[in-house]
Amino acid sequence: MATGNNRTENELLARNNDYLWDGSGEPDPEIQSLEALLGKFRHDRPTPVFPESVPVRRWTLFPRRVRLFPVLVTTAAVVVTIAVVTFLVQGRKPVPTIVAGWNVSRVAGSPRIGPKTMGGGEEGVGRLGVGQMLETDSQSRASLQADDTGQIEVDPSTRLRLLTMGAGLKRIALDRGTIHTYIWAPAGQFVVDTPSAMTVDLGCAYTLQVDDSGVGLVRTSLGWVGFKLNGRESFIPAGAACATRPKVGPGTPYFEDASSVFRAALTRFDFEDSTSQQRAGDLAIVLGESRKQDALTLWHLLARVDEGQRGLVYDRLRGVAPPPASVTKEGILRLDETMLDLWWNALGFDDISVWRHWERSWSGAAAPVREK
Amino acid sequence: MREQFAPGVSEDAMLVSDARTGDRVAFGRLYDRYARMVHGVLLARVPVGEVDDLVQDVFLLALRRLSTLRETGSFGAWLAVIARNLANDYHRRSVPEDQLAPQGQRTDDTNEREIEHGNISGVDQSPAVAILDAIRALPDAYRETLILRLVEGMTGPEIAARTGLTHGSVRVNLHRGMQQLRAKLSPNPSEDRPGKNRSEQEM
Repeated sequence: MATGNNRTENELLARNNDYLWDGSGEPDPEIQSLEALLGKFRHDRPTPVFPESVPVRRWTLFPRRVRLFPVLVTTAAVVVTIAVVTFLVQGRKPVPTIVAGWNVSRVAGSPRIGPKTMGGGEEGVGRLGVGQMLETDSQSRASLQADDTGQIEVDPSTRLRLLTMGAGLKRIALDRGTIHTYIWAPAGQFVVDTPSAMTVDLGCAYTLQVDDSGVGLVRTSLGWVGFKLNGRESFIPAGAACATRPKVGPGTPYFEDASSVFRAALTRFDFEDSTSQQRAGDLAIVLGESRKQDALTLWHLLARVDEGQRGLVYDRLRGVAPPPASVTKEGILRLDETMLDLWWNALGFDDISVWRHWERSWSGAAAPVREK
Repeated sequence: MREQFAPGVSEDAMLVSDARTGDRVAFGRLYDRYARMVHGVLLARVPVGEVDDLVQDVFLLALRRLSTLRETGSFGAWLAVIARNLANDYHRRSVPEDQLAPQGQRTDDTNEREIEHGNISGVDQSPAVAILDAIRALPDAYRETLILRLVEGMTGPEIAARTGLTHGSVRVNLHRGMQQLRAKLSPNPSEDRPGKNRSEQEM
């Protein structure tokens, strides 16, 4: 509700600021000067080409007012006629079917789909079907695209396989190499198995690397990604990275601008076969080096440290990112999932309920990844 | 407070509805309608050189999350929230805590980067960068509205329609923002003194 002061101000504004308001009235030289100077920063990019998608449902060939029923009946009749004629003409000739999969484009070199090598010209495009393997050598690159899923850029020396391409779950296995994914399928529908963890797309863009020994690294550039193996899970928001090792699973995610001392201690803590004393020392370094944005790492550590060390992590995390009022120290120390989720949501990365929802829907559908 | 839906909003709702079915042309039209708003919201918060990429990120994220938008007529306000969140993400992942400086006391490094990025046309744009910095040191509501008006060239009614704010809020933000900007740019600090006659401040 407007106060008397606001009304007075608005009336004054209406009288005196037409030019500032909508460019009408007597031009204000000062504002004109500001517009001329600042116009250099104005948005001037053309409309980008957004990813192609599945055919739309709307009947764009017809005016909106055309009734759909007669159109549908006519279309159906035409389709039936064409089908009958085709059947009669083709006889028993087998009808080609569209195989679920990804369209593949050669970017450089000679990528292979199964035994078939892609070359230039018409040979530079192909399709990766379920069960097939795409492989690039040290000189090759390829690009995969699926209209309803996303785009994957495949770097040299990479091997991946398409496992499933269902309506609700699209799944590939990255055996080795590097892929850059940009996914527009709904969160949780695109999954990549690696030798040491399963990545679940919860956002838009990330890079995933796997070396010959099965060691993996995910780096998220937009949205967020879930990393999971046998109940151990990591959430990696934009700007963060997370390593994974065979038989261990995902390590603790960290922001890539964290100090080298912090990152080295975290790697030792996650993956090295250290004594409990060494682990305590590495944890102390991580806690001591942590900044406000490292709440991401600290939150994950709550469930990964020994029970006796959990209080230390709690205290540090509370220091950089106080928990919501309903979250208690006692609850966190016993790893109450609801309280952990509430605290995560308060960190401002993204809503963890998205992950929980899809986690429930995966149970039974997503088998554990194989381990080397 | 949100504005009642303007006539253009129903067209937005239709475009959003079409875009949800996979119609990328419709989404492209939404981009055309809202790119300046998103650009302005980001420019109020992140270095100049980062804005264009982030604009694209905002729209790609919106495209992906379009199905979660409940009120299709509120596309603009929803998009602005995404843009502000991405700007926050940018700072969270790229600016170490010890380099975060209060508004108006940004680091030399940041200024150098922006001056570098601001030199778009190869001419000296230091005054423009200084003014942009002054605007970005204003409170959130004022800097965003002023950038949409002075940089993006949007009118007050356009700003209201695109951001979902009321005409009154936009008008007041423009007015008060300009007052504060004038005070910041004034070579004579005494012009900023409290209680100064409004008509004098109006210039």
